[in-house]
Amino acid sequence: MIKKFIHQFASPKTYLFQVNRVYKYIFYFSLLIYTFSLIWGLLFTPEDFVQGNSFRIIYLHVPASFLSQSLYAIMAIASVTYLIWRVKLAAYLIIAIAPIGAMTTFLALISGSIWGIPTWGTWWQWDARITSTLILFIMYLGLISLHNSFSNFEKADKLLSWLVIVGFINIPIIKKSVDWWSTLHQSASITLTDKPSIDPSMLYPLIGSMIGFFGLIFCLVIISSKLQIFKREKTKSWIKDYV
Amino acid sequence: MNTLYLEYLKLKKKTRNWLGPILVFILIMIAYPLTVEFLQKDLEQGFFSLLWISMLLSMMLATEDIFLEDFNDGSLEQILISTSSFPILIAKKIFIYWAMIGIPISLFSFLFSLSITKDLQVSLLIMPLSMLCTYIFLNLFVFGSALSLNKGSVLGAIITMPIALPVLIVLGKSVIAIQFGINYLEFLLLLLGGLSIIITAVPFIVSYVIKAHLE
Repeated sequence: MIKKFIHQFASPKTYLFQVNRVYKYIFYFSLLIYTFSLIWGLLFTPEDFVQGNSFRIIYLHVPASFLSQSLYAIMAIASVTYLIWRVKLAAYLIIAIAPIGAMTTFLALISGSIWGIPTWGTWWQWDARITSTLILFIMYLGLISLHNSFSNFEKADKLLSWLVIVGFINIPIIKKSVDWWSTLHQSASITLTDKPSIDPSMLYPLIGSMIGFFGLIFCLVIISSKLQIFKREKTKSWIKDYV
Repeated sequence: MNTLYLEYLKLKKKTRNWLGPILVFILIMIAYPLTVEFLQKDLEQGFFSLLWISMLLSMMLATEDIFLEDFNDGSLEQILISTSSFPILIAKKIFIYWAMIGIPISLFSFLFSLSITKDLQVSLLIMPLSMLCTYIFLNLFVFGSALSLNKGSVLGAIITMPIALPVLIVLGKSVIAIQFGINYLEFLLLLLGGLSIIITAVPFIVSYVIKAHLE
């Protein structure tokens, strides 16, 4: 039954109709959670003992940084799916995610720089985490330019998938950069194995903002993938009926 | 005729392709002392970073049109159809490039390292690292070159450069290991392990990529 559902969902037509049904709910739910968490985090959370009010940028910086890597991981999964099972939708998702990944990485870099001025006294440092994130941003741009350089979509999809898979080697390095090098950037405050080192009054709005931000970006991915479907399947009769 | 020998002859004929990267490497190394103050400490400080970066650039130059000529005259397509062992052919091609460009560059890196650090032991330890990293860089850039087969070498370089980042990190750490006399062998083995994975995987990936181009 699950296999049947996956096969059905992997068809661009079913995907389009299914996401249209849930899109609105995800968007409003995420917007509500993100707005609520931002208000909670910005207005009602106490000041940080060391950083003062500047720490409040975490409600944008942390979700953006987390997503910049997660989106690449999703692209890698989609690439494997496309190369092994030739699922068209996976190929559409890869190129739909790439610009959004670049955008979140850029947002993470910019918000990090803004946070760096009051906390570190510098807006940029050639530090392991920051440099590796910049490289991730360049990788996203490389992926987009590779895809754009081919007019044959199928060929572009295959080449892009290979590059995404090979480039995945950088993700663990970015993730672990704060542990492997002595850097200005702090280590992760929230991990799966240990108790969070962040105070609950700051942690709960952070978790809320992460869920909300993820939801909003997920909506962006949906819109972007829908655009890809319209672009690629424009000759299909069901698209004409749909439009 | 043995394909390895044939690849050697093909590369030997294209003097610009194998001599060019070696000369660029030498020129960067010669230009380096001119750009810093002539104090031994200053010279040594940035030398190894420059060594790895110039190796990276030389390997990038070496591979920029590794498949282009074969692609343009149609022989790549013929090879793909006629031989069942296309990945092996690619592996041989990369090996010949390494033998003719990577090894001389590694030998020169020993000489330059000796002349700048004045330390024979450090220079001797740098040489195996250079040999391994040139082979790894070659493999990575061949992948980039295959991806951007007829789209210009700049695209290939942009998309492959970030993948070379982990190797540069290990090289940077290896130099520290050499200078402090600790863990050198671990880093060397790490690079060797990485290389063994790369030389096994890259020919297959490149052959898939070229097939995708020719389909």
